[in-house]
Amino acid sequence: MDRRAKGKSEWGVSYGEMVAREFVKSRLNVACLVFIVFLFAVAVFAPFLANDKPFVIHIEGKLHFPISKALQANDYCVFLAAVVGLIQLLLIRRNRRRIDPSLRGAVLWRQISVSSLVILAGVILIFIFVPRRLDATDYRAMIASGKATGAIFAPIPYGYARTDLKVREQPPSAEHWLGTDDVGSDVLCRLIHGSRISLSVGFVAVGISSVIGIFIGAILGYFGGKVDFVGMRAVEIMMAIPTFFLIITIVAFFPRSLLNIMVIIGITSWTGDARFIRAEFFKLRKQDFVQAAVSLGLPLRSILFRHMLPNGIAPVLVNATFGIAGAIFIEAALSFLGFGVAPPTPSWGQMLSLGVSTTGRFLWWLTFFPGLAIFFTVMAYNLVGEGLRDAIDPRLRKAA
Amino acid sequence: MTTYIARRLLLMIPTLLGITVMVFAISRIAPGDPVSLAMGPGGQLDAERAADVREARMRLYGLDKPVYIQYAIWLGRIARLDFGDSIKHHRPVIELIKERLPITLTLNLLAFVIVYAVSLPLGVLAAVQHKRFFDRASSVVLFMLWSLPVMWVGQMLIGYFCGPTFKQWFPPAGLSSNYADTLPFFPWLADRLWHLVLPVLCLTYTGFAYLTKQVRAGMLDSLRADYVRTARAKGLSNAVVIFRHAFRNSVIPVITIMATLLPAMLGGSVIIERIFSVPGMGLLAFEAVTTRDYNVVMAVATMGGVLNLVGLLLGDIAYAIVDPRISFESAV
Repeated sequence: MDRRAKGKSEWGVSYGEMVAREFVKSRLNVACLVFIVFLFAVAVFAPFLANDKPFVIHIEGKLHFPISKALQANDYCVFLAAVVGLIQLLLIRRNRRRIDPSLRGAVLWRQISVSSLVILAGVILIFIFVPRRLDATDYRAMIASGKATGAIFAPIPYGYARTDLKVREQPPSAEHWLGTDDVGSDVLCRLIHGSRISLSVGFVAVGISSVIGIFIGAILGYFGGKVDFVGMRAVEIMMAIPTFFLIITIVAFFPRSLLNIMVIIGITSWTGDARFIRAEFFKLRKQDFVQAAVSLGLPLRSILFRHMLPNGIAPVLVNATFGIAGAIFIEAALSFLGFGVAPPTPSWGQMLSLGVSTTGRFLWWLTFFPGLAIFFTVMAYNLVGEGLRDAIDPRLRKAA
Repeated sequence: MTTYIARRLLLMIPTLLGITVMVFAISRIAPGDPVSLAMGPGGQLDAERAADVREARMRLYGLDKPVYIQYAIWLGRIARLDFGDSIKHHRPVIELIKERLPITLTLNLLAFVIVYAVSLPLGVLAAVQHKRFFDRASSVVLFMLWSLPVMWVGQMLIGYFCGPTFKQWFPPAGLSSNYADTLPFFPWLADRLWHLVLPVLCLTYTGFAYLTKQVRAGMLDSLRADYVRTARAKGLSNAVVIFRHAFRNSVIPVITIMATLLPAMLGGSVIIERIFSVPGMGLLAFEAVTTRDYNVVMAVATMGGVLNLVGLLLGDIAYAIVDPRISFESAV
């Protein structure tokens, strides 16, 4: 191992750090990662970037903050998740300095589970305590009529659900940078808010499928024999059913909701992970450290997930990155076919389906920009997946 | 080999049953049923009449019996390849499939041939030019093609080339013009091909990326192999080394992919067929799902499952045929 590369750290280099170092060697990888972070930032701050409620406004001499009233429970959930996620990242940085590499995995797991619990509890509290509000005040009309002054608006001063038939189907202009759709909503605003759907679907769906896949794969791989034989038949059934058809069937048959879509994509796409983990566990099962763990009488949970999983998780990580791209694509396709989240909630797939109007006119800006957003997002995740695979694959590392 | 195939076929039976159970369960657990969907709130009938009609219809479709009996009846019927009647079209499902299948098959066969015709030379060339300009450029372009969402490409093509707004070069929908029936064969064929250009284009471009990558990887592996070095050392010409020695051994993954593509070829693409209004299997599946045409949904899903299994088996068999080192006995 390259000893100079260790730098300031007084500890050894953990596997994760090795992979990370290999990963950032490619500028393209870093660029894609930055792009994804940027997308997440846009998604988190969507209400501050595009909102028809001003940040500040003087009404009859009094200062009002309408945007605080416009924030809904789900906005607070997003902020909470973002803050906890950031703290998590900072903790990982801190761990690198303070904790021995051999213990970092366990510490990380504990921190991640604590964070998830915090988020879960927070979401429940938010939904209990944040009231559902609707601020129907038209602040623009107030300004126009001179009742209010000194308003500071978001950079894109339109709401995603705002309809304005006077400006429907307008091509990109100075007022509406990416044009307006068939009911006069601003496309850029809807694009910004739509990023939340795409990104969250990718994350949650892959989270679900990875957990199911790891769990099933671990059990099949560890026990082998009859368990494996029966289990593999179940995996085979899932693999044989045409996945996309299964997904549109379930989505069409059950009520429309974002959660449904996430869960359905998650529970139909775990077979790849299960097979990877199973294959890894087959190999690991015979190794000394696993035998040692077994003979120490450790509980199965500990053997499977604390001792074996960290050694076999690499292919799942790579698969998860491609899975996110796939899930974003599937969500867009579902929305395109009309099975997505119910309007007016914006989603990229649904937006791009509006481009060819019923009269045959082609409103290119309605199709082009959301499609471009899907394309860039999917490509960024795919590239990160490729980069991660190259960084993890030891064969390639030797060759390079 | 026969024992191997027989064993694989036997193993397919429980898997197949599992598929039918799952498909059936999903269509029955879901809220709502085709009768209420077809009748709406009951129209002008008074409540009692509506209930009667409803009950009669439920009995007609066999929806009044317990679920497990419905499943048993259905299973018995599909064993005889009788998929029942479509609730929406009032015709046997098998007839609908017979109507739609050739359309999807035409579309996909064309796409299939084009993908292989483009990807094989492209992959070989990329591998031969490993890490040089052509290799890098082609992999970047193919990677971008791979990430292009198909609904975006389809919508843009239709909007740009088929509408009054920009160019009107291609027909926006369907497989043939209204007057196509009156045409003699060759003009008819030209008309059909003219309609197929854009859908086939959409079907092929993702395949380029995938297949070229496989061909390239296979070629790279065999180009690094010892026997290729030996062949070069013998002083064989570059072309002979590449096509006679390396290429033949690198087609193994390509052949297995061909077998696993079978289900996709018959299943059709929901998105592409919907964008271009091609009345193939994908559109049939889509319509069935939106109208809750249970018999059609289950027929399509079961067929898809069976074809996937057959595709996997064919892939394994093809693999063993082209690579004699693989023994049937060790693999299950």
